[in-house]
Amino acid sequence: MIFVCKNCGGNVVYSPEKHTMFCPYCDSAGSGERKDPASGGDISVCPGCGGEVKAGEHISATQCPYCGNYLIFNERVEGAYAPKKIIPFQMGKEACKNALKEKFKKNTFAPTDFLSEAKLDSIEGYYVPYWFFQYDTNCKYDGEGTKSRVWTSGNIEYTEISHYRIHRDMDIDFKDIPVDASVQMPDDVMDLIAPFQFSQMEPFKPEYMSGFYGEKYNMTSDLVESRADSRMKEDAEKLLRESVSGYSTVSAGSKNIQVLDSSVEYGLLPLWRYHYQYDGQAYPFYVNGQTGKIVGTLPISKKKVWAYTGTLWGSLAAILALIQLIALWI
Amino acid sequence: MRDTIKKEARKQFFRYFRVWFIVVGILLALAVITYITHVIKNNVPRANHSAPAQRVYDQANVLTDKEEDSLRQRIAEVESKHHIDVVLVTFSQSVEGEDAMRQYGYRSTDWEQNMQDYADDFWDENQYGYNKGFEGDGCILVHNWYEGQNGEHLSTSGKVEAAFSSYDIDTVLYAVDRYYDTDPYKAYLAYIDEVDSLLSQKEHPIGTGTFSWTAVLLIPSVAAAIYALVNLRQKKAEDTTSSSTYVEERKPVMKAQSDEFMHKNVVTRRIESASSGGGGGGHSGGGGHHTSSHGASHGGGSHRH
Repeated sequence: MIFVCKNCGGNVVYSPEKHTMFCPYCDSAGSGERKDPASGGDISVCPGCGGEVKAGEHISATQCPYCGNYLIFNERVEGAYAPKKIIPFQMGKEACKNALKEKFKKNTFAPTDFLSEAKLDSIEGYYVPYWFFQYDTNCKYDGEGTKSRVWTSGNIEYTEISHYRIHRDMDIDFKDIPVDASVQMPDDVMDLIAPFQFSQMEPFKPEYMSGFYGEKYNMTSDLVESRADSRMKEDAEKLLRESVSGYSTVSAGSKNIQVLDSSVEYGLLPLWRYHYQYDGQAYPFYVNGQTGKIVGTLPISKKKVWAYTGTLWGSLAAILALIQLIALWI
Repeated sequence: MRDTIKKEARKQFFRYFRVWFIVVGILLALAVITYITHVIKNNVPRANHSAPAQRVYDQANVLTDKEEDSLRQRIAEVESKHHIDVVLVTFSQSVEGEDAMRQYGYRSTDWEQNMQDYADDFWDENQYGYNKGFEGDGCILVHNWYEGQNGEHLSTSGKVEAAFSSYDIDTVLYAVDRYYDTDPYKAYLAYIDEVDSLLSQKEHPIGTGTFSWTAVLLIPSVAAAIYALVNLRQKKAEDTTSSSTYVEERKPVMKAQSDEFMHKNVVTRRIESASSGGGGGGHSGGGGHHTSSHGASHGGGSHRH
C-alpha cells in the first residue's frame, strides 16, 4: 500500500513534528488516502508507478527506487505479522541530525565529513520489530542482616553487632520488556537504545509507517524470550536488594522469583539509522526515534589524531620554551 | 568533494587551535622584545684590565692540564654570562698555629682567619673584579690541601658579595665538599656551576634562571598523551534503564515485610596509646662580611675537613 494525497496525488507521509499524515508536495495535513496494489497482495509492485520493488525477505516498508514513494507491504503488516502496537516517530529527521551534531561536535578526532549535511542526509527512519513481554511475578527474600554500632569509654572500644531476620514478599508486575525481533539488528545496540516512553504507544496503524522503512519480525517470541526472562530476573533481584536497607551487612539468603502469569505482544519501535562508512569500514549509528538517545562508536581519523595531538604538543612546548626564555631575558 | 572536505578540515583545525596560536604569537613577540632588551642591557664590556687573565691556579697540583683547561672554559662562560671574575686556587701550606704565623706572616694562628686572609689577599693583590680592580665583582675559592688542614674558603666581592647570603656560601662549599676527596675536578666544576646557578636565581626572580629542556619536552608530552587518551576514549552509549523501568507503576507492591531482631553481641578492644619522639637538626651558616687587610670588603666562609 501507499498513501496518496487526496488534493494533489503526491505521496503522503507521517510527520513526527506535526503528529499527523502530511503531504510534502502540497503542504496539506490529514489528506492521506490508502491506495492498494491493483493485483492485491503483490508486494513487489509499486502502486504508485508500477515499478518492481525488491522487498527482500523481511522488509515491511521501503521507498520505491523509481518514483520515491514510500511503500508498505500489506502482507507484512497484516495477519500473522500485524503489529499490535507502535510508538510512532516523535523525532523528525532534522531533529535527529541536530541531535547527532550536538553530541559529536566536540569529538575532535572524528572524520571531518562525519557531520556534513551531505552525509547526514542519508539518515533513514526505521521501524524495528519488537516483542513486548509481560510478567506478573511474586518475589520473596529471606535472609539475615547485621547492624553495628561502635563507641568508646575510657580506653575501651566497644563494637555492638545486632542480628536481624529479614523477610520480604512483593508482587512485581513487569510490563513491556522489549526484545528486538530482528536478526540483522545488533542485540547490544537494541538494548542500549532503550528506554522508550510507552505512554506514547498507540494501536498499530499502517499510516505511521509511511515515510519510513520497516521490518516484520523475523525471530519468533520463543527465540528471544530468554533475553526478556533474564532481564526480568535481574531487575526483580535488584528490587529485592533495594528493599533491604539500613544494614551493615546482608547475607545472600534465599530468593524466590515466581512467575504467576506471562504474555507477549508484537509491536514496532522507531529509530533513525545513520550508516557512515570510513576507510572501508561501516560505522552504524542508531538514534531512538522517540527520545533521541544515540548509540554508536565514532570512527577515528588517524590523521586528525596526529595533527591535533602534535599541534597541541608543539604549542605547549613553544609556550613553555618562550616563557622560560622571557624569564631568562627579562 | 574531497577538496571541500580538506578545506573544511583546515578551517576546523585553525578554529580549534586559534587561542593556542594567538598565545604562541603573543609570547613570540614578547620574547623578541625581551631578547633585544636583554642584548642591549647585557652588553657590558670588561672594565678592569689590571687583573691577570689566569683564573685557575693549581698550586697543590691536584688537577690534570686537561681538567684545568676544561675549568677555564667553564669559568669563561660564567664570567661572560654574569659579568664577574671567578678564580680558583689550590695550594698546600700550613695556615694554622704559631709556626705558620711566623713563617708566612699571617696575622693570626687561627685556620679559618688565615684561610680568609689568604683568599682575600689573593683577590685584592691580583686586582680581580670584572668591573674594577678594587672591590670588583666576582669570587674566589681557595682550597688548602695541607695535610691535617684540608679545607676551602670562598671569598666573594662586589655584586657577588651583595648577592650571596651565608646560606648561599655554604651551599657552594657543600657542593665542593661532596666531591673534593674523590674527584677534585668535579668538586671545582660544582663550585663554578653552583655560583652560576645561584646568581641566575638572584638575577632572575621569575623562574629558576635556567632553561629546562625537561619542562619543554616532558610536560607537553604528558599533556598530549592525556589529551589523546581522553579524546580517543568513547563508549557506544550508557545503559539508561533502571531496575524499575519496566515495572508497572514503576514500583513493586510490598505484600509483607519484616525485620525481626534476633540477638546481639558486643566485642571490646583496649585502645593502645602510642607516643612518639623526634629530634631536630641545625644548620650552621657560612661566614659573613668583613674587611680584608687591603681595606676591601669581602664576604665568605670556610669549610674544614
